[in-house]
Amino acid sequence: MRATGLVKLWGATTALAGASFEVGSGVTGLLGSNGAGKTTVLGLILGLHPPDGGTIEVLGLDPATAGARVRERLGYVPEHEALAPDVRAHDLVRHLSEVHGLPSREATARASDALWLVGLGEERHRPVGTMSTGQRQRVKLAAALAHDPALLLLDEPTNGLDPMQREEMLALIRRIGSELGIDVVLSSHLLEEVERTCDATVILAAGQVVASGSMDALRSGGSGLVVDVDGGAELLAGRLRTDGFAVSVDGLRLVVEGAADAGADAVRDAAAAQRIGLRRVQARTATLEDVFLAAGDGAP
Amino acid sequence: MSDARIVDRGYRRYDGPRLGVRGAVRSLAWHSALRALGLRRTFWAKLLPLASVGIAYVPALVFVGIAALLPDQLVQGGGVLPGYADYYGFISAAIVLFVALVGPEVLCPDRRHRMLGLYLASPLTRDSYLVAKVLAVVPVLALVTLGPPLLLLVGLTFAGAGPEGFGEFLTVLARIVTGGLVISAAYTAVSLAAASLTERRAVASAGVILVLLVSTVATSALVAVGADERLLLLNVGAIPFELVQRIYGQAGRTPIPTAELVVANLAWTVGAGAVLRSRYHRLRITR
Repeated sequence: MRATGLVKLWGATTALAGASFEVGSGVTGLLGSNGAGKTTVLGLILGLHPPDGGTIEVLGLDPATAGARVRERLGYVPEHEALAPDVRAHDLVRHLSEVHGLPSREATARASDALWLVGLGEERHRPVGTMSTGQRQRVKLAAALAHDPALLLLDEPTNGLDPMQREEMLALIRRIGSELGIDVVLSSHLLEEVERTCDATVILAAGQVVASGSMDALRSGGSGLVVDVDGGAELLAGRLRTDGFAVSVDGLRLVVEGAADAGADAVRDAAAAQRIGLRRVQARTATLEDVFLAAGDGAP
Repeated sequence: MSDARIVDRGYRRYDGPRLGVRGAVRSLAWHSALRALGLRRTFWAKLLPLASVGIAYVPALVFVGIAALLPDQLVQGGGVLPGYADYYGFISAAIVLFVALVGPEVLCPDRRHRMLGLYLASPLTRDSYLVAKVLAVVPVLALVTLGPPLLLLVGLTFAGAGPEGFGEFLTVLARIVTGGLVISAAYTAVSLAAASLTERRAVASAGVILVLLVSTVATSALVAVGADERLLLLNVGAIPFELVQRIYGQAGRTPIPTAELVVANLAWTVGAGAVLRSRYHRLRITR
């Protein structure tokens, strides 16, 4: 999907102010603090409301004019509770598959498959209201997967989950994006879960895209070197400081600021001169937090 | 040695046909109709709707039994069995109860449990969602507005007390179908409109009963103390039944012309439908 100059106003509030980004294959994070415009973006992808400016293309179509055809191929897991509690999980998933256009027999079989996939095979005939929060999240995920979407939209899918359930949900999302070949947009305000789960990220702040791209590209913005040594870290740091480098030491790890190439040569020469064993010399990469902070938005 | 084995089919991609908006509407209508009747749900969810349906059929079974057991001369002489149009007088309470249950059950939980957001993330739009709900409610209400007089017609015919000749049978059949659909359409619109105003089923059910009863009591009382008879056109609890009387060629209980009754029924149906549509178009699903 591709968005260009998206503008969306809610009364006097500007939710999106010219956001442009692309979502490719794999798992893409939509990262931003609350009110950054993430849910508005999902609503525009689903064609639930037209943009006030700019264009958006999803699966080669404009969701504002071809909404039904687009939504037929999308799976959506909303942030909030969205399941009737007195309906059995299998009945619900099958019904939502039919609503997405699957013939009845196919929907029945795929509802079971999807519930097994999310780890609820044994529980599939239980009413949703008797399930835990984590299980209900999984039912929503199964309902979004069963009709075989081309693109899966997840809005804060780990909200309300305990740490173990959260780990399992993120592993499942990772698996969906890699093994099943379904592209995923993961909307989250949790930087760490986007960093661990996604192949690419779009960072939103105040309705604008402040950074986007693959995780590798975003992380490549770091500078300097990370050096791990067998011992004598302070000795090596002293020598490098003498040579004009800014160095910080943390146990057996040194972080050398400055240009990577020149720094690497200096580290090699200094370590040889001091007879200090080097375990690792590597260009320092930025964390997503660095990118987020550099983009001018407070870290969540 | 056993042939049993566990087959892990895993997740498979699907490249078969998709049924689009029509399939979505059909599935939602069917799912909603089953829900309204309490089917695939707990015993308590089935109790009231199925009891209302059952009560609506009891008089028909009794009258057919009377026709089968009493001598033909007594039955043919008239006065023992009610006319088809009068049948509704025996089951109007069951109809009101059923109407008060069905509309709210079909609409309110989707908003209360936020299923509406999931539906609108499918090929359904707000309008096609409402079409599916109407398609669910009209036939379900027809179980009490159309089914019992149909049973009466068929039962009396088999008991030898039905219409004289095939032509007369078809005429009565057409009147039953038209009358049943008139009541279903009007009450579908009213019950769905009331249900669109609140997320709570119980409040919506109470609202439906209140609208039907208050309009009846208030207009009847005002007419009784000398107000214009046309005030009865506001009585949505009674005007569908009054129109049914005219469909059967009977004078009815008021002197209001049939054309005005038709317009009033249409106005209630379309007006309530407009309230329903307006409410759903103003609902905020997601930002």
